[in-house]
Amino acid sequence: MLTAVLATCLPITLWAQAPPPGAPAAARFGQGVREFLGLGPPPDAAAAERGAPIYAANCAFCHGPLARGAEGPSLIYSELVLEDQHGSSVAEFLKVGRPQKGMPAFATLSDEQRKDVVEFLHQQIEDVANRGTYQVKNIVLGDPRKGASYVSKHCLGCHSLTGDLKGLAEKWRRDITATVRSPQGTWQGRVQQIDDFRIELVDDSGRPVVIVRDPDVAVELHDPLAPHVAIIGALADSDMINVTAYLETLE
Amino acid sequence: MRGRRRYLRFLRRMACLGALLASAQANELDMTLLGKPATTAWPTFNGDYSGERFSSLQQINTENVASLQLQWSYRITDVGAQRGAPVPVIKATPLLVNGTLYFTIPDNVYAVDARTGAKLWSYSWTDQGGHLVGNRGLGMYKSWLYFLGPDDWVICVDSGTGKERWRKQIADARLQYFTTTAPLVVKDHVLVGVGGDAMDIRGFLVALNPDNGDIQWKWWTTPDAGEPGIETWPSVSAALHGGGGTWLPGTYDPELNLVYWGTGNTNPVFAGQGRKGADLYTASIVALNVDSGKLAWHFQVSPHDTHDWDNTETPVLIDADVGGKPRKLLAQAARNGWFVVLDRTNGKALVSTPYVRLNWAKGVDEQGQPIPDPAKEPKVSGSMTNTSATNWMSPSYSPAAGLFYVNAVEGFAIYYLLDTEARPSGYGGTLTSLGTSRRFLKALDITTGKVRWQHEYPSLNGAPSTVGPGLLSTAGNLVFSGDDQGNLIAYSADRGKILWHFRANAAQSNGPITFMLDGRQWVVLAAGDTLYAYTLAPMAVNRADQ
Repeated sequence: MLTAVLATCLPITLWAQAPPPGAPAAARFGQGVREFLGLGPPPDAAAAERGAPIYAANCAFCHGPLARGAEGPSLIYSELVLEDQHGSSVAEFLKVGRPQKGMPAFATLSDEQRKDVVEFLHQQIEDVANRGTYQVKNIVLGDPRKGASYVSKHCLGCHSLTGDLKGLAEKWRRDITATVRSPQGTWQGRVQQIDDFRIELVDDSGRPVVIVRDPDVAVELHDPLAPHVAIIGALADSDMINVTAYLETLE
Repeated sequence: MRGRRRYLRFLRRMACLGALLASAQANELDMTLLGKPATTAWPTFNGDYSGERFSSLQQINTENVASLQLQWSYRITDVGAQRGAPVPVIKATPLLVNGTLYFTIPDNVYAVDARTGAKLWSYSWTDQGGHLVGNRGLGMYKSWLYFLGPDDWVICVDSGTGKERWRKQIADARLQYFTTTAPLVVKDHVLVGVGGDAMDIRGFLVALNPDNGDIQWKWWTTPDAGEPGIETWPSVSAALHGGGGTWLPGTYDPELNLVYWGTGNTNPVFAGQGRKGADLYTASIVALNVDSGKLAWHFQVSPHDTHDWDNTETPVLIDADVGGKPRKLLAQAARNGWFVVLDRTNGKALVSTPYVRLNWAKGVDEQGQPIPDPAKEPKVSGSMTNTSATNWMSPSYSPAAGLFYVNAVEGFAIYYLLDTEARPSGYGGTLTSLGTSRRFLKALDITTGKVRWQHEYPSLNGAPSTVGPGLLSTAGNLVFSGDDQGNLIAYSADRGKILWHFRANAAQSNGPITFMLDGRQWVVLAAGDTLYAYTLAPMAVNRADQ
């Protein structure tokens, strides 16, 4: 949704590290980032969920609701927890605690419950360290009326919401075209590749053309999104947020 | 007949002895070359200690560079996909010592004959974690090389054989410390930095004994309770998890006995609400006494960084006349888009100005440090701000042209705050790039910071942030660099005119080096998994590794 909403206003490429929530790619991406960071095996999400209320009732008072520390230390950076694999050492530790340092024993919890609490801790570390699983929050926080006013003032000179912009998110494509002039002739078409030394076009008949950029070759690029590119960096955050809120109200 | 057999046996024995001697022969670096202008050797990451990456060589120059030809290429074919890296990418600047090139990729070291591209030996490390994002190369002390495994191990190997001598672990990879840097050897110190910002590390720089890896001193980037700088943090625990990696090699002034180091971004990366204040000494340039590790001065280029703006870019040491007076200067083109020229004796700013279009600063304070605009911190609903203007790719300064060269990116992104807790942790946010960023080679005047010339790299694609070409300038009035489409390019240093190019198999991925060998000037650089070597003479040989 985020992509679709913003794409109607600005050319956008979503950063690879924040795939759309729910997409199958997201889980694979999270796994890829975990491997890249060397974070070890993924936590057992179901066990972590079972462990959450046990943690909240027994541990959060000292270690904070997300295990990031309060009266007691943060458990996110705890060597004991980082060394543990699915309760391999911390579950036993919880049985005896460290009473001399004020860390009580949790001997009344069952073995399973202790393991679930440890899995909750591993989930907190995962949520912090694996940025491949981060989720963008609700960003529709602007004022749609102000957004409508911005769109009316800055966009509707070129666009119509019921005409060319209707369904734009689905038909989105950015075609940069070029006119290339040389002593041998003139070519026009969609640009496939350009660097300092060559340009590759597909002309209107679909024919690929490669032209070496000798000193007597002139290249003129046409970017249909040039006015949008000009907005980037100059647009006020408030306008961006309001327009997003306004676009969210449209069909 | 008997005499002849005896003679043959003698010859065989001599040949065996010769081979033994050759294989065991150490390649010893003449230590007096360290810090000298790099001509017949390139014995440190930056060639010398200045970080200028300028060569006084001029056999290759604007008149003849068009005839530069490939002499050999060396492709890494013995390493497949690595964790998180589908193909090997050489980001290391090679060392060149006595005709041997030494370079790295994560977990691997190579020694190659600079004349032929023939492999002499390689060394492999089996890591137990850490990031394989890159490895910048090696440090050398006498006949020993220093290499970092990604999982915070410093490994010393023999330069003649690649045999391991010792190893020391300097940090814990489970806390998301990882190591990619090229160790910097200064006197009897091996200086090693760390990186990693996934889990709120406390950055440090460590000096090791070159003989055995024992720690000589350790400088923490962020202060502990009662130490100077703690007043720029809301709490000691925020400071002790405040980031500030040291993951690129610094520079060194032997007269002042100071090393200069850039420090990395602050942690949590995008969520600054739990660390209100300037957050010293993250995202700064620091000057440290190389024998004690004591801080002499600091200059914070990104106070209260909330945009992942590692300030690890090379602090380039320049001796130049300013206003008719000789000055000891330090110049840096920072990742946040700011260019500073400081007096390196005391850290006072002479120039402090943007070198790309940016919108996150409200001006400079009385020290010349940029003042970040709080309105441009990441927000839940998004905030549009610059992307990184440069990264680890080496800049260059040519004293002949008086210009500082940097490969720069002009682009914008929306920065989102994702972790709104009072005590955020990790990255705590993300960013979404906007449109297509533009890439430039910029030549900056060091007395004003103004762009003297710039060349835009034509491209349909946005600039990648983690692979990029480093720069080299020479007295032949040349600058070597590359674009993001596989072209290796030589420009005239004074005007930025393209004079030569070579189409490689991948985009240039390291910093180029140059040196004299057998009376010829060589240029060596890497693109993807291949090292390319050029001279003016026409005798091209391709050679895969063997």
